Parts: sequence; C-alpha cells; structure tokens
Amino acid sequence: MSPRKTIDELAAPVPVLDVDKGQVDTHEERYQRGRIHVQSRARMPEKQLFDFAEYQAREAERTGYSDYSYWKSVWHNFLKKKSAVFMSVVFLLLFVFTFIALGISKFDVYNLRLDNELMFHAPDGEFWFGTDNLGRDYWCQVWYATRTSILLAVSVSVGEIALGVVMGLIWGYVRSLDRFFTELYNFVDNIPTIIYMTLIALMVGKSFIIIGVALIAVSWLHTARNIRNLVFMYRDREYNLASRCLGTPLHRVLAKNIFPYLVSVIILRLALSIPSTIAYETTLTYLGLMDISLPSLGILLRNARNYFLDYPYLLVFPAAIVSIITVTFYLVGNAFSDACDPRNHV
Amino acid sequence: MSENVKHTSGGFDFAERARQILSTEPILTAKDVEVKFTLRDRELTAIRRCSLDLYDGETLAIVGESGSGKSVFTKLFVGMLDKNGKITNGSIMYEGKDLAKLTGERAWRGIRGSKIAMVTQDPMTSLNPLRRVGVQIREAVELHQGLRGGAARAEAVRLMEAVGIQDAERRYAMYPHEFSGGMRQRVVIAIAIACRPKILICDEPTTALDVTIQAQILELIRRLQREYRMTIIYITHDLGVVANVADRVAVMYAGQIVEIGMADEIFFDPYHPYSWALLSALPQLGRKGERLPAIDGTPPNLFNQITGDSFAPRNRRALNIDFLEEPPLFDVTPTHQSKTWLMDPRAPKVEKPDIISRLRAAEEDSAPAVTTAPEGEREPLVECRDLQVTFGSGRKKFIAVDHVYLTIYKGETLALVGESGSGKTTIGRAIIRINPVSGGEVLYRGQRISGKIDKALDREVIRRIQMIFQDPMASSNERAKVDYIVSEGLINHHLYANDEERKAKVAKALEEVGLLPEFASRFPHEFSGGQRQRIGIARSLIMQPEFIIADEPISALDVSIRAQVLNLLNELKASRGLTYLFIAHDLSVVRYIADRIAVIHKGRIVELADSEALFRCPLHPYTRALLSAVPNPDPYLERTKKTLVYDPGMHDYTTDRPVWKELAPGHFVYGNAPELRKYAARLAETGNA
Repeated sequence: MSPRKTIDELAAPVPVLDVDKGQVDTHEERYQRGRIHVQSRARMPEKQLFDFAEYQAREAERTGYSDYSYWKSVWHNFLKKKSAVFMSVVFLLLFVFTFIALGISKFDVYNLRLDNELMFHAPDGEFWFGTDNLGRDYWCQVWYATRTSILLAVSVSVGEIALGVVMGLIWGYVRSLDRFFTELYNFVDNIPTIIYMTLIALMVGKSFIIIGVALIAVSWLHTARNIRNLVFMYRDREYNLASRCLGTPLHRVLAKNIFPYLVSVIILRLALSIPSTIAYETTLTYLGLMDISLPSLGILLRNARNYFLDYPYLLVFPAAIVSIITVTFYLVGNAFSDACDPRNHV
Repeated sequence: MSENVKHTSGGFDFAERARQILSTEPILTAKDVEVKFTLRDRELTAIRRCSLDLYDGETLAIVGESGSGKSVFTKLFVGMLDKNGKITNGSIMYEGKDLAKLTGERAWRGIRGSKIAMVTQDPMTSLNPLRRVGVQIREAVELHQGLRGGAARAEAVRLMEAVGIQDAERRYAMYPHEFSGGMRQRVVIAIAIACRPKILICDEPTTALDVTIQAQILELIRRLQREYRMTIIYITHDLGVVANVADRVAVMYAGQIVEIGMADEIFFDPYHPYSWALLSALPQLGRKGERLPAIDGTPPNLFNQITGDSFAPRNRRALNIDFLEEPPLFDVTPTHQSKTWLMDPRAPKVEKPDIISRLRAAEEDSAPAVTTAPEGEREPLVECRDLQVTFGSGRKKFIAVDHVYLTIYKGETLALVGESGSGKTTIGRAIIRINPVSGGEVLYRGQRISGKIDKALDREVIRRIQMIFQDPMASSNERAKVDYIVSEGLINHHLYANDEERKAKVAKALEEVGLLPEFASRFPHEFSGGQRQRIGIARSLIMQPEFIIADEPISALDVSIRAQVLNLLNELKASRGLTYLFIAHDLSVVRYIADRIAVIHKGRIVELADSEALFRCPLHPYTRALLSAVPNPDPYLERTKKTLVYDPGMHDYTTDRPVWKELAPGHFVYGNAPELRKYAARLAETGNA
C-alpha cells in the first residue's frame, strides 16, 4: 500500500509533467488543455479535491493515436542500410555523369574517326579510356553505352512491370479469367526465351525498340503471375466484401483496395528487373542478336572479348560499370524488401 | 470477514473459500512490477507497478480489455516477454527465486512448462501441424517426466483420456487438422498438464470456441484443477466465463490491477468505478428499449504519461483528485482491495449503479414480456424462400444452407444465432448477394433479388441493403483514408453534386455515429476497434439503407465498447426506421437487441420465435443446449449450472420426415410429427404456467 500524500504536498504546484513536453503526441492543443486541467486542480483546497470533476467527452475519446506511417517507416528503415544508400548515390552520380562525360569529351561520339594508327592506344591524357581495335576513343563509347543500356533497362523494366501488374491484378481478382491466364502462362513459359528472342531478331529485326518490346512481351507474364499470387492474399479480405456490398466497380477495387498493398513488392521487382534486363541485353548482343551500330555495354563487352587478354582495359571499364549497376540494384532491392516488411518496423 | 461476504446463497460458499485461501501462504508474489516496451524508438509502459499474490490451489481470473496488460503480465511468469520489452522494476518471487531476474533459456527450463505452464488462445498456433498429436504430447511427457518409449506413449494416451478425448488410442496417430477446435484445445491442455505444473496460466483458452464447446472446456479445466491440485490463472475479457471458473477476480485497467477480490465480492459488491462500468455495460443486464449504460471513450494510450487514476477521463463521476494523484489500494475486506479515491473517508458517498443489482435478479426471470405488433400490420421486407446455398461442385459439393424460410418484417431486429460453420453468415451473404444462391429465392419488397436481375433493381438493392462486418480491423481498407472509406458508396452511385456536398455528407455520417468530422482525413489504423466499427457503420449509413445485415458486429470488440455499438444500432433503428438482420453466435447479447430470434444448426433453421418466447420456452433440443451453455455473469448461477449437450443423432428422421411448422403464433420449430407433438405439449405446459 503506497503511503498517502499530505494535502500540502498535493496542493504544491505541479512540476512540469512529461505530458507537457509533447514528446509523444504532436497534437499540441490537446496537451495544452491537459495541463490547465492538472495545474488548476493542483492548487485546490482539500475539500475541493474530493469534489466531482467536470466530465470532458473529448478527453475520454482521446485515442490510442499513433503517428505510425507505413511509408515513413519504410523510408526510415531503408536509410539505415548504409551500403544500399551509398550505392544508390553512386548509381545516380553515374547516370548523371553519362551526360556530363560526353559533354567534356574531346571527341564527338556520333563522329568517331576510324584510325588504324591509333589502334589499342592505352589510356592517357588524350584518350582517357584509351582506344579500341579500330582506333576510336573508348571514353565516349563507354559512357554512351552506359546511358543506352540504362535507358533500355529502365524502359523495358518499367514496361514489363506496368503491364504485368495490370494483368496480374485482373488475373488474381477475376476468378473466371484464371484458367485462361494460367494456360497462357504455361504455354509461353515452356518456350525457352532465348529461342524466342532469336526468332524475333532473325524474323522481325534487331533494333533496340523491337528487342525491347519483345522482352516486355515475354517477361510481363512472370510479373503477372507473382502479382496474381499476392492478390490472392488480399482478395477475400472483408474490406473487399464491403466494397462489393457498396457496388464498387472492378477497376476501383483493384486500384484502391488491392494495388496500394502491392506497391512495395512492385518496387522491389522493378529494382531487381533492371540489372537482369541489362544482363539479358548483354547476352543478346553477345550472341549477335542485336543491332550494333550504336554502342551498348553488351556490344562493348562482346567486342572486348577478342582482345582483353592483351588490352585488359577494354574489358575492365564496361565490366566495372555493369557490376556497379547490378550490385546497386541488388542491394537496393534487398534493403527495400527488408524495409517494407512490417515486422521490421519495431 | 464473513459479514462482508453477503451473498452466501447458491451452491457455492465463497466465504469458506476465502478463509481457505487466506490461511495459505502465497505461492507466487509479484511486487511493483513495471514493464516497458520500446516501439519505434518510443517507450510504452505496459505494466505500471502491478502487484499480485497468488495462493495455492485457487483459480484467479484476470479480467481486462485488450491492451490492459493482462497477457503481458502473466507472460512474465513463464519468461515469454517479447523481445522489445523489459522488466524495469519489481520482483516476481516463486519458490525463493526472483523470476523477474531470470535470463536465458537454461535458467527458465526448470520452471517454464514443468512448474508453470501456459495454454494460449489459438490451439493451432501452439500445435505443430506436421506432427501427429500423440507424438507432440509424448514429447512433453519425455521431456518433463523422464519416461521413455512405451511408458511415455502409454502416459500420453492416458493424458488424452484425462482431457476427455475419446478413442485416444486411435486419435494418438492423427494430425492436428483432423481435430476440431475444441479437441485441439484439449490436446494443448494435455501437453500443458503433461509436466504436472503447479500453476497453469490459461490465456483466453475458449475465446475462439463456440459456446457449447466453451462450456465443456471450462468444465474440463475445473476438473483437472481438482485432480492435479493446480493453481490456475485465467485470463479473459468475458465476465460470464469469469463467473464460471473464478474463486478470485482481478480487474485490470491500463496496466494495473484496479480491483481484486473474491468472485462474489467483485460481481455483487464492486467499489471501483471501472468495475461498475464493466458490469453495467453487460448486454445481458440490458432491458429492451433502455439504453445500455455504456462506458464512453476509449482506453488510454500507454505511450502517454498517465497521471492520477487512469480511468478518470472516462469516469463521469471522477473526483478532482483522480486527475492528480494515483489512488492507493484500499482494503474493503481482507480479500477485497479497490484502487479508487472513492474509498477515501474524505470522498463523497457514491452509490454503485442500480443496474448491477440486476446481476442477482437475473436469476429470477424478471424481464418484462414484450408485446409484438399483431400479425396483420407487419410488412415483410426481406424474405428467403426455400433458400439453398452450396459451395464447390461435383463430389466436393458442400451444402452450407438448406431449406431456409425466413421472413424479416419492416422495423424489426431479427437475430440469427448459430455456432461457427452453421451457415448464419452464408445466409446474410446470400441476401446481400455475395454468395450466389443455388436454390430457392430471396425477395426484397416482394421482388426477386437473387440470381440475375436488371440494372435498375440492382442499384436500388445495393443502396437499400447494407452490411456491417464482424472484424472492424479486417473490414476497413488500411491504405485508404476514412474520407474515402465512408464515401465509397456515394462515389459509386454518384449521390452528390459536387465535392463539398460529398464532404458534408461524410461529416454528417461520422457525427451520426459519434465520431468527430475531422477524423475523415486520417487512416484507419489510428483508431481503436470500436471507433473502426463505427466507421464501418457510417459507411453503410451514408447509402440511406433501410435494411442492414449486421454480421456479428460486436463479437470482436471489447466489453466496454460493445455497449456503445449496441446503443448506436438501437438509436439508428429508432431514428431511421431501420430493419436489422443481426447475426450472432451468442444468445446472451441477442436477448437485449432482438425482437425475434432464429436458431440455426448445420445450415438449417431449427427454431424461430419472439425473443422472450424463445428464452421462456425453448423447444428444439439444440436451442436448449445453446441456452444452457450461455455464460451468465453470476458466480452462483454459473457454479451450479448444468449444461445440456445436443446430439444430432437423437433425431430419427428415417421414416418420419421433419417439417418446418408454426406451433404457436410466431413460434416455428423444425421436427417430425412425434417431436412436434412433444414440443406442442411443452409449449402448452409453459403457456399455462
């Protein structure tokens, strides 16, 4: 039993309470009211202390309000992964630099001279990254290729994810379409992608746009399938039933009830899809299935394979850039998926 | 002391029990325990200097709302505090050891399981779904009793029999998914007692179970306590269950025990305003037409510093001092302590609310008979004719609802009561057209609305028939603001001219359910369960419906919040002339709110009658079993009650086909000719009496 305080002690001015510092809840006005409450009572004479207090409905409804926000916590947790943050900064600088690098270059990437005398010129003050087997400046080529590859990878990934998400939402939510999509998936998935890409390249064309569209056309199904499986988790939740009872049309149910829950997964997939597209592009070029009139990282790597034992710098520069991109997105993707997991939001 | 224990009638002598308990030394003593959690860099005090003595051989019930800290407090006794929590003050003495200072698995091994065991709410989470039930029990036997091989197996089978699993030899080799919920809970209990613990902590062991199964499990726990001489801590929010099991009751609020005493003292002579509020908010005590004395507001946020009496902001008769200074525990009797300034000699005299006295009166059936409107005046609003709903097809076809005839009249509340899996929710969802109907039809104002209907009628029906869902957490979209959630129906049906009008309508709907209009810009996770349920109600109301299907709207809510929601539903019924189909699994709540009650069993409605008629004269054996299993908030009644068990095998329908027949005006029952004759005879008997 705790000892009872004397009335003098009770009537003494109340020291500033923790509540008053407003450290917990940001709603200043609530605390203001609370403080007046406490302080005016503290100076009451004994008799009044045991009088009935005025009932205040707002105080009673004061909720277990928490300022928890999902995305704020995701961001907070993501920032804790120093390696991922560092690599994203490096990547962003790299991408911005592709534009600067071409600007400060001594040569124009679109008008590179072929010069047999300058073949395999080692990197120096004139040719910063040396020259290739045809005597062209390698600096321009590497940075131009980086830009091309990143743009291709980003546009293919965005296209593939966008298509995959829309189709996946429909596939998952509309039960009657499940059979159709599943069979389509089985059919497409059973054709080796490399054969399919070879056929496209030989029969339709090798340009960047054609290859990009072909890549989107084949890879969206995998995203769609992944999304469909996730939709199953949310499809039968009661809030969707509530929406049905209110007559909400399908597109709004998908956009408002399902899609927001999948955003984290979608961003994760996007992050992982970019390096894999770059790897794919490299493979396709290596196999000679892509237009080689404009340099991409794949083309440079393909070119370097014949000479890199004698002139390693031809391989080192593009390979280093591919590695940076791949590692960045791998780290960012992983950090992001950890940050998105609500269990880590403690 | 005996003069303070006033009510010694009934089959159980609490005064005697109190003497027994007080004559022993406590086996476990918690003193000034404080527990803090860190959550997202903020500190939360879950237990605020809580003390408790546990006596040998007693059953102590800890009652409290969610977040009151009752689970956290008892988890300390088995060292299962979550990782982000720590004990920052106090001691828990057990057998000369301070459990608060024990760390590491090794130190706990001698105590957790073998001395103090725990049974949790959901049996599926405590059993391994991939291992045979018997093996899991045997494992516990081997670990704690040191038996091996055949001896361990025999002991496991014996334990299964001890917890009332019939045919234990055969069931030994089954997997958890082959067991029903009640049976699984029995297995968990068998594992817990395998080690012959001194103390058994039961954390809401029956909350997930049906009432009839709950009654059986409570009976089992009582029997095991006698046989194994265990001390039991029983955590629950259900005062009916408390009355059934408890010798002593501790009421917890905001991380503290605010009142503790013998069960009869807490139920019939409580002193703390929170105990008063908790007891008087019980729907069982409500009389139709009267408002339930609800507790306003929501429990305090433990992130905030609490000054004075934690219940003061919600207490309409709080004293000034309640906001300043935490009250000490005052002694009422040697066994009864209450933490309220009202006990102070300087405090004004406050009588406990009258309604609590109804707890004793509830024994004598004092509820006034309700007169229902004569048959001719009633206008049918929704009708189910020979309704059948099936799931799956071919060999996997499952008939969820069959041959259901149900007429819901305008302005009434019809309750549909049944256990889990009985098809009650399916009927509700068939009416609102989420589940397709495979036979029969549903009529709304005489028009068929099941199956294919034209667009105009479809829109009309969506607006006029709305649903309130069971789980307020699952039924609101967490990623949308309250504004969107409430106005979803308006947007779908373009029921507003411009955005201002829409916002005004949302604000009005929120006000109508007792929420502040400014809540519209917040997300659902910022609200408590009761507030979220009210958001759900606002979402349906904004469509101006005339018929609402309420699918267990209060079963997921805390006791103090239930009364708020029931009052709200009743007020809306009066102000808007609404008609409800109230789906529930618990008869006790339904008596207060319903005009008529339909009892459903295995997809078939077995009895339908006016609410009072059903309580006065239940005919079908299933209804009688359900009624007998309902927990009453009266310790004397509960201690002596006999529960009936319904066995569907008792009906012999091979030669004589059962029919759905009206035996008295408005009293329908399902049975064959000999049964109906028996029912009619009973009806005549009670009618005359």
